[in-house]
Amino acid sequence: MIYIVDHKDSFTHNVVHQLSLFDKVECANYDEIDNEKLNKAKTIVLSPGPGSPKDYPKTKNIYKRFKGKKKIIGICLGFQQILFAEGGQIIQQKQIYHGFQSDIKVISKNSIFKNNLILKVGRYHSLKLKEPFNAKNFDITMRCVISGSAMCVENNIDNIYGFQFHPESFLTINGNLLIKKILSA
Amino acid sequence: MKKKNYLDTLSDSNKPFIIYKSIKGFDLFTNFSEKIILNNKNIDRFLNKKYKFKNKYKSTDLLIGFFGYELLNNLIGVKIPKQKSINFPKGIFYKPETKINLKNRLIYKLNTKQKINKKFKININHNSYSKIFNNFKKKIRSGETYQIKICTKYKNKSAIDPLDFFCRLSETNLAPEAFMIKDKNFSIISCSPENLITKKGSFISTKPIAGTLRKNKKINKIKALSFFKNNIKETKEHNMIVDMERNDLSRICKPGSVKLKKEKIIEEYKDLYHYVSLIVGRLKKNIKNIDIIKAMMPGGSVIGCPKISTLNLLNHQEKENRNIYTGSFGYIKFNGDMRFNIIIRSILNFKNVSEISVASGVVIDSHAKNEFNENFIKAKALIDLFT
Repeated sequence: MIYIVDHKDSFTHNVVHQLSLFDKVECANYDEIDNEKLNKAKTIVLSPGPGSPKDYPKTKNIYKRFKGKKKIIGICLGFQQILFAEGGQIIQQKQIYHGFQSDIKVISKNSIFKNNLILKVGRYHSLKLKEPFNAKNFDITMRCVISGSAMCVENNIDNIYGFQFHPESFLTINGNLLIKKILSA
Repeated sequence: MKKKNYLDTLSDSNKPFIIYKSIKGFDLFTNFSEKIILNNKNIDRFLNKKYKFKNKYKSTDLLIGFFGYELLNNLIGVKIPKQKSINFPKGIFYKPETKINLKNRLIYKLNTKQKINKKFKININHNSYSKIFNNFKKKIRSGETYQIKICTKYKNKSAIDPLDFFCRLSETNLAPEAFMIKDKNFSIISCSPENLITKKGSFISTKPIAGTLRKNKKINKIKALSFFKNNIKETKEHNMIVDMERNDLSRICKPGSVKLKKEKIIEEYKDLYHYVSLIVGRLKKNIKNIDIIKAMMPGGSVIGCPKISTLNLLNHQEKENRNIYTGSFGYIKFNGDMRFNIIIRSILNFKNVSEISVASGVVIDSHAKNEFNENFIKAKALIDLFT
């Protein structure tokens, strides 16, 4: 079962819909976290959402509690939450991407995706990761072709994956395949 | 009675009635046997109530009316701080006993003297609009909202004949979700173009509009499409709405059934082009109408995104109750089928005061002056009726 922490976003149910193709999904609001279900889940997904990681302290605790014990996937705000919990800084960016389709590239041999692969993805983010970012076992594995900002983080030891873009958006080409690969990794 | 004179007779009789655009023409509903005024206490019961129909389903086996904006907020747990209010009902539904099909050309001879005043007052001037605009832009930069619609209101004091207004409006602007309501102390006249819910059996669809282009001699349908395709700001705004509506349908539809059936097409109307998408899905088992309404309303394309945090930002900013504006009008059939629009491009006349509300979107690359003017353009077609 996959448990999704919903940060009251208007895209979370696209994530639910997409993940439901592969496994049973439970989704609960950030204010109503179901600990029993959370404990039972095989995978935890941190949803997209408004605001910044520091606005959601409970999510940081969930992340710390289950890191290394369950697979954790973060999308957009969820991606930033993983990095924030790992000591990264999340900052405002000059160019803002809301509803934007852009090309991103796999830039690491450590990725479960093929190196140099180019993907067309949908983006909805005001904030970004401040770099350089360093944390043990974490690699930035995808970057925006134009701006170079971090688009994917992977930790294949602890099974942690984060996407700054939205695999569930209609703007992301082959988003289902991407999610399938992460879920079976 | 001949249909031709029907509208004249009906209007003279002072009976409440409703007209709603159908595919071929208009449907007129009247002889109401029941009128339900909605509030926060009775809405759940209203939406959960199962109506029975005898053996064969009749075309009047339905409830027709509207949900106001505040009611829809409260229904999904969003509270609205105290605002200036005219105490207009939060929602009203009627049970009609008569339904008549009318042709697209409504024939009606005005015979009451209207007292029309041309003066309109706007509730937010350009200066305060810019302040709100800049404040919301900051919220976009910090990620609290990605798109937000600022509402402005135009007010006028006139004794109007709503049927005359509606007939004139339909002649210049035949919108697919147009409707009017005439009741004792209020009327609503609308040329809404936007369908929010069409539900037939387990099939459901929504058709968001994001992007409007005024017609002129130089622009045809193909040029309108390339205008939108090449305009990054319009495209991004539209994309966001598409993903949000997919999300809202995904709450209530079977996994894998939500599909973008028409992606960013142009629909042509008498005076303008709209940039439109059509999203469809198959409802999960055990989904009730109340679940559908909670998932889809208030319609996202006129609010902004993400819905909840944007509603909260809006509600703390706006000093006046939106009343019907960005609520929904439509019907619930006794067999469970529904059709609802989004109430925009509308006049609410309550106790001889007319109000026209309009909104346009703030995204990261919009400009206060353009959006303020766009609001006026949207209101103008309705303001022009006051002659």
